[in-house]
Amino acid sequence: MRKLSFIAIFIAAFAVTLSAQYQDRSKSTWIEPNSGAVLPEFDAFDSNEGTIGIVNASGSVKTEGHAFFMALGTNGRACVNCHQPTYGMSVSATALLERWKQTDGKDPVFAAFDGSNCPGLPQDKESSHSLLLKRGLFRIPLQWPPKNADGSPKPVEFTIEVVRDPGGCNTSAEYGLKSADPTISVYRRPRPAANLKYVVSGGRPIVLKTGMLADVDPETKSPVAMNLMSDAREATLQTQAMSAIMGHEQASVSPTRKQIEQIVEYESQVYAAQAAHIFGGPLAVPGGPASLGPVALRDHKAGVLGDNDYDPVFGSFNSWKGTDYYRASVARGADIFMFRQFWLRDAAHINSIGLGNPLKRTCATCHNAQMTGQDLSAGWVDVGTTNYPTWTEPSTWADSSELPVFKITCSRDADPHPYLGRVIYTTDPGRALISGRCVDVGSIVMQQLRGLSARAPYFANGSAKTLREVVDFYDRRFDMKLTDGEKEDLINFLGVL
Amino acid sequence: MRLGLFIVSAIVALGQQRNFVSCPIVRDTKTVPCFLAEYEGETYYLGIQQDITSDFHPPQLKHEVLVEGRVASGPRVCGGIPLQPVSISVLKEVNLACNTLLPAEPGIEAPAAPRGPGPSSRRAEPSRSRENFTGAHEFSVLYSFNDDYLEYAANQVVTEAAAYAKRIHASAVKVAGYRATTLLSNGDRLVEKAGLAEKRAQNIATLLHGLGVAGVTVEWKNEPEPGDGQTDPSHRRVSILVTP
Repeated sequence: MRKLSFIAIFIAAFAVTLSAQYQDRSKSTWIEPNSGAVLPEFDAFDSNEGTIGIVNASGSVKTEGHAFFMALGTNGRACVNCHQPTYGMSVSATALLERWKQTDGKDPVFAAFDGSNCPGLPQDKESSHSLLLKRGLFRIPLQWPPKNADGSPKPVEFTIEVVRDPGGCNTSAEYGLKSADPTISVYRRPRPAANLKYVVSGGRPIVLKTGMLADVDPETKSPVAMNLMSDAREATLQTQAMSAIMGHEQASVSPTRKQIEQIVEYESQVYAAQAAHIFGGPLAVPGGPASLGPVALRDHKAGVLGDNDYDPVFGSFNSWKGTDYYRASVARGADIFMFRQFWLRDAAHINSIGLGNPLKRTCATCHNAQMTGQDLSAGWVDVGTTNYPTWTEPSTWADSSELPVFKITCSRDADPHPYLGRVIYTTDPGRALISGRCVDVGSIVMQQLRGLSARAPYFANGSAKTLREVVDFYDRRFDMKLTDGEKEDLINFLGVL
Repeated sequence: MRLGLFIVSAIVALGQQRNFVSCPIVRDTKTVPCFLAEYEGETYYLGIQQDITSDFHPPQLKHEVLVEGRVASGPRVCGGIPLQPVSISVLKEVNLACNTLLPAEPGIEAPAAPRGPGPSSRRAEPSRSRENFTGAHEFSVLYSFNDDYLEYAANQVVTEAAAYAKRIHASAVKVAGYRATTLLSNGDRLVEKAGLAEKRAQNIATLLHGLGVAGVTVEWKNEPEPGDGQTDPSHRRVSILVTP
């Protein structure tokens, strides 16, 4: 009874706070292209765990005629199709399934090109879009071999074979590896188009993980952070926007410079984070953890290292210790994230860059950038989500998995993958599809940890349906020996970000 | 009697070079892990887990390690005879037999670590330029055996060389790549792979160019430097000669 009263008080408090800071929560939350909606400076939407908050730092946004919200290509899609404020500027698998039902699969988000498992499949069937509907995965067709900026083929250190292809795209004569335009199709979640000042900050001339030059902004020639996309294939938000319009939106003519700048300007000022929690109440409150809520993201400095005990990744949660059950659990979860030691083992681009294998450290060693938990250096790492034997698939040949499986064979004169050797089975070669390097097979750029409850499932391949599954993966992968209580604390902590 | 023999053998070994290939051993402690390796029935202490900016980059389980070190004075550390200076090269091929992780034991403690196993407690010091050269200066970029990966310290050397070349408007920047031989303590020789001298040199030239240095010339020596068992790590290198 006492617990129920507690919850009621929190819900009331959270509602009052939100009504002051955020506006109309009862509106339709799926924004269609060309809808003409006006987005307020502060907005809030229901999420699995409470409320996701959106801040437009430049003030309200008129979407009419705005390139982010306009269909610029031939398939009716706009950026907003896959980057919805309601879903933390990404989109959840649940939302996509609802959208399928509402529109009978006619929404442009289900475009055959990449909203289905393969364009050659019958598009009216739900099964042809299973990866999108079950895991929120879009098809990413990548040319093989990769090309340099001048169009010349990059040298590659491995051969790639398709050993399983449930969707049929990689073995398709029209779309596959042996087609006239050899292409590898991998399937990935859309990353949040929010909090991007953090994602693009920190470019250094030489990439620590490779000892090679960083990619440069094609306009300014300055080195870039190489933390955009799952594989860092786009140097800047501008090139990403151009690529997305020509690819995802299937534009037949290039967007104008003004349209690209409008998209980048919008993306660069929008912030998304959990704003309130069903048990934790309003999160951004005086005296509470200073990192919570989207306003904190708007106001904090980007590019700050947080792998330290004096100014941690997500600030201090000490004020929540000894308070109510939920907030105390979150505070314990924050301590686990920062301080709980375990053996980081066999993670390419972590253990292999001079830190040693194994490495006795904490979550914050890799998730070290303040406010987002990304990596401040170029962030591709193989923690094992896509590569055998640690991938997040249930088993190599399981019928329940609909992801393709590739066999990578590294050439004898190349450096092998540091922990998997010269023959690797993978569901997504990750960065290696861009770099052509064997050491990069399975390396995926770390994602930001904000607004998580609005945008399940998790990992680039959508293999973790819940935060529990994320935590279970790490517990299993690194033998963290977390107790059930510690897992709950960590999940609660991730849920308020 | 046995203690006496041990002391005598330790004194005899003091200052001797130990060059060998073996699986590393990781010894956990209350703080950071120690990295060890065994050779001819003896255990040697290589170093402790540190940070990426450290001069010591630990070996890796799942890989053999080439150890090139000198027996140092002082008591055993983490159960091993200390080698100092010591060069560590992680061999590239995966070796699943290299998988020994020993638990922490009472009485075995790691030396004081600049950084513990948790988040850092040290505040970053303001970066100070170490560049105080005048005239022609040769920068030496060192590598692990059979490797062209630029570790953090080597990365800093290249950055420093580029800054110097630009500051003095260098008339010439000459890059020269080398590969080397390691003479092992058992008399065997390990030779770095063919083509590595060129690859190292070309990589450094590319970096210098990308860092804004003009007029870089590149050369390399295909013939491996002969191993002497004493100075071999210093020959796995690229030289950057910056001339005003």
